[in-house]
Amino acid sequence: LLSKPTWSVRSLLPSEPTSTSTTPTITPKQLHHLLRLSALPPPSSPSAEKSMIATLESQLYFVRAIQQVDTTGVEPLRSIRDETAAGLKEASISVETLKEALEKEESWGHCKRPRRRRDVPVDTYGSEDWDALGTASQKVGRYFVVKSGKGVA
Amino acid sequence: MARIPTAELSRYLFAGQIGHRGCLRASRIRIAPTSSSLQTRQFASHVESQAPTATTVPPTPLRKQLKEQAKALKASGQKKKKKVDNQTVPGWELTVGIEIHAQLNTARKLFSPAANSFNDDPNSHVALFDVAMPGSQPVFQPETLIPAVRAALALNCEIQRVSRFDRKHYFHWDQPSGYQITQYYEPFAKDGKLELLARDGIAAEDGESITVGIKQVQMEQDTAKTTAQPGEVQWLDFNRVGVPLIEIITLPEIHHPATAAAFVRKVQVMLNAVDACVSGMEAGGLRADVNVSVRRTDDKCGTLGTRTEIKNLSSFKAVEDAIIAERDRQIAVLESGGVVEGETRGWAIGSTETRRLRGKEGEVDYRYMPDPDLGPVVIDLPLVQYLASSSGLAPDAETDQLIEDYGLTAKDAISLMALDDGARVQYFYNVLDALEQKLGSASVDTIAVDRGLSTLAANWCLHELGKLTELSNNLGMTHKGECKVPSADLAALLYHLHRKEITAKVAKELLWAIFRGEISQGGVTEAIEANDLWFHELSEKEYSDLADQVVEGEDKVLGEFLRFAEGKGKAYPQGKLMFLVGKVMRAGPEQRMDPASVERVVRARIDEVYIPGLKSKE
Repeated sequence: LLSKPTWSVRSLLPSEPTSTSTTPTITPKQLHHLLRLSALPPPSSPSAEKSMIATLESQLYFVRAIQQVDTTGVEPLRSIRDETAAGLKEASISVETLKEALEKEESWGHCKRPRRRRDVPVDTYGSEDWDALGTASQKVGRYFVVKSGKGVA
Repeated sequence: MARIPTAELSRYLFAGQIGHRGCLRASRIRIAPTSSSLQTRQFASHVESQAPTATTVPPTPLRKQLKEQAKALKASGQKKKKKVDNQTVPGWELTVGIEIHAQLNTARKLFSPAANSFNDDPNSHVALFDVAMPGSQPVFQPETLIPAVRAALALNCEIQRVSRFDRKHYFHWDQPSGYQITQYYEPFAKDGKLELLARDGIAAEDGESITVGIKQVQMEQDTAKTTAQPGEVQWLDFNRVGVPLIEIITLPEIHHPATAAAFVRKVQVMLNAVDACVSGMEAGGLRADVNVSVRRTDDKCGTLGTRTEIKNLSSFKAVEDAIIAERDRQIAVLESGGVVEGETRGWAIGSTETRRLRGKEGEVDYRYMPDPDLGPVVIDLPLVQYLASSSGLAPDAETDQLIEDYGLTAKDAISLMALDDGARVQYFYNVLDALEQKLGSASVDTIAVDRGLSTLAANWCLHELGKLTELSNNLGMTHKGECKVPSADLAALLYHLHRKEITAKVAKELLWAIFRGEISQGGVTEAIEANDLWFHELSEKEYSDLADQVVEGEDKVLGEFLRFAEGKGKAYPQGKLMFLVGKVMRAGPEQRMDPASVERVVRARIDEVYIPGLKSKE
C-alpha cells in the first residue's frame, strides 16, 4: 500500500523546461520595487538580477500551488492561540482586570468627569532599567543622532 | 558746481549735444535725439531715454517688485475674500474627510510597561521593545483601553467585542521596528457619529446642525520625537515611541471648511472631557490630516473627485485655511482642463497654497498584515457599560444645562466652558454654590436654579474677571476652580450686590482690590464696613425732589413725553428719559443713587406730575 509514493515535494517546484510562456514574469522593475520596499540593496550585476528573478519565480510557483487549496469558509490563521470559548473568556478584559488602573482615577468637578490621578508613581516593572543610550552608535547628550541627508548609507 | 548756462542746457536736452569745453579728450560725445518735431511733448520721455544710456539700469529690488505686483492686483479689483464668505464656490461641491490622531492619557505605553511621559529627560522611558531590540516582544497593556473606549463612546461608536492588531510597514528613523502596530482590518470601534451645532462654529451654509459620521476609531503606536539640527542631522528621543494613539477616521460628509475646523475643535473638547486626550493641538497631542476633493454640483455620476491628502496641520485655523487653499487649487486645475492627481500635500502656517510632499509614484505600499505576536483584544460588555456610566456629563449636555437651567446665552456658555481649560466654569459653579449657601435660598437638592443669581455670577466670572488682567494666566486659575480671587470672596461680594447693599461701581472696585491682594481672604464684609462703602440709597422723596429740581426749564423735553402720551409720537422717547436720568445722577450724591431706581422715579413723575402739569399750562 505504501510502496509507491503518491505525492512528492518536487510537485511544488517548477520543472526545468516550464519556461515563462504561460505565467506572467516578474519584470526587473517589479523586482526593484520589492527590494526598495524591503530596504534591500539592488542586485549587483545583471546575472545576479537574473538569478534573483529566477528564485523569486520558483517561490511564486510554490505559492500558487498552495493557493490552489480550497479555503472557502476557513478563517485565516493569524497566530496559534486558544480559540475555545474558555480561552476567549480568559483573554477578555473586564472591570476586574482593570481594577487597579480604575482605582487610580477620580471623578471630579460639577459634572463628575473622570480624571487620572497624576500624583501616583508609575510602576514600570523594571522595563526602563537598562542603558538605552548605550546602544547608540552616535549620540549627543541624551539624544540619539541620525544623519538625514541624501546619499548617506 | 557752477550754474549751467540755459543755452547749453537746452542744447543738451533738445539736441543731445554736450559741450566738450574742458573735457580731457577732444572727441565729442553725441547722443542722438529721438524726434525733432514733437520735442516739447516728448520732453519727459526724451530725458529718460537719454540720461542713463552709458550705464546699465540697476535691477529693481525684490521688495519693490512685490509691492508693485500687490498694487496692480489691488487696482485690478481682486480683493481678498473673507473666510466667512468663502465657504462655497458656486458650481462646485467640496468634500472633506478628516483623520485625527490623538495621544491617549495613560500611565504606560501601549505594548510595553514603560511610562508615558511628556517633556521628561530624553530617552529615559524606553523599554526594550520600544527600540525593537531583537528578541523583545510586545505586551499589550489593557489599561490603555480605559481612555480609548471612553473616547470611542463619546463619539457614539459601537465597541467591537473582538479587535486585532496589524502591522503597517515603512522605514523611517523614528520607527525602530520598521512597522507601526495599528488596527487596520479590525478596529475596536466602528460606526459612530458626532453632531455639530451652530453654536460650535460650523459654516452658516450648514444650517442649525450637521451630523458627521465616523467610520472607525483604532488604536496605534506613536513614533519617536525628532528634532532637526543644522547640517542634516536629526536628534531622536524615543520616549514617545509606543505611546498609545487613537486614530479617528470620519466619513466624507463635511462640505465646508469652517465645519471641518469646528469638527476638529469639537473632537478635542470631547476627548478632553472624558480625560482621553488632555494635550491639545497646540501642544502636539492632537494632529489632523484632511482629505480634500471637489466635483461639480451638476455632476451626475455620483462618485467623488480624486482626493488629495494634506498632512501636518497643527491648528484649527490651519485646517480651515489649508482646505480653502486646496479647494481653490483643485478647482483651478479642473477648470483649466487638467486632472487632479491623488497626492500627499503639506501646509505651512501663513502660506497661500499647499505644497506637494509625495506624488503617486512615491506612494508607499504598507503591506498590511496581522501581527502574529499579539493576541486579539477581547472587551467585556460590562466594562464598556462601566466606562460609559463613569464618563460624567457630556460637554454638550453641560452647555445645554448652562443655557436652559442657568439662563446663560449660548455664546457666554461656550466661552465660559472654554476658558482656562475648563477651570473657569468650575470656578463659576463654586461661586454660585457659595452664593446660594449665603443667601440660604436653594437647598442642595432642588434642581431649579435662581436664574437671576446664576446670570449675575456668570457675568462676573466671565466678563468682570476678564477685565482684571489681559493674560488669563495671571488669574492663577487652578483646575479645581480657585484663583487669586477666591470663590468664597467673590460670592460674598455678589451677595451684597444682589441685596443692593453695595453699588456695582463699588463692587468692581472691591474686586480689583481683592485681585491685588489688598483684601485678605474672607475679609470682604470687613473691608466694606471699614471704608463705609454701604449703599445708603436716597428715599423716594429725595429722588422726587431731585427730579423736580432737574426738570425745571426742561419744558421742551417734557413736551416730547406729552406728544407721545397724546399719541402723536412714534415711540417712547427713551433717549430723552435717559438724558433726564443722567441730569438727576449728576445733580445729586452719586454714591447714594441707583440708576435703575432713578429711571423708575423719573418715569413715574413724568406720568403723574409733569405731563398733567404741562397740560394744565396749555
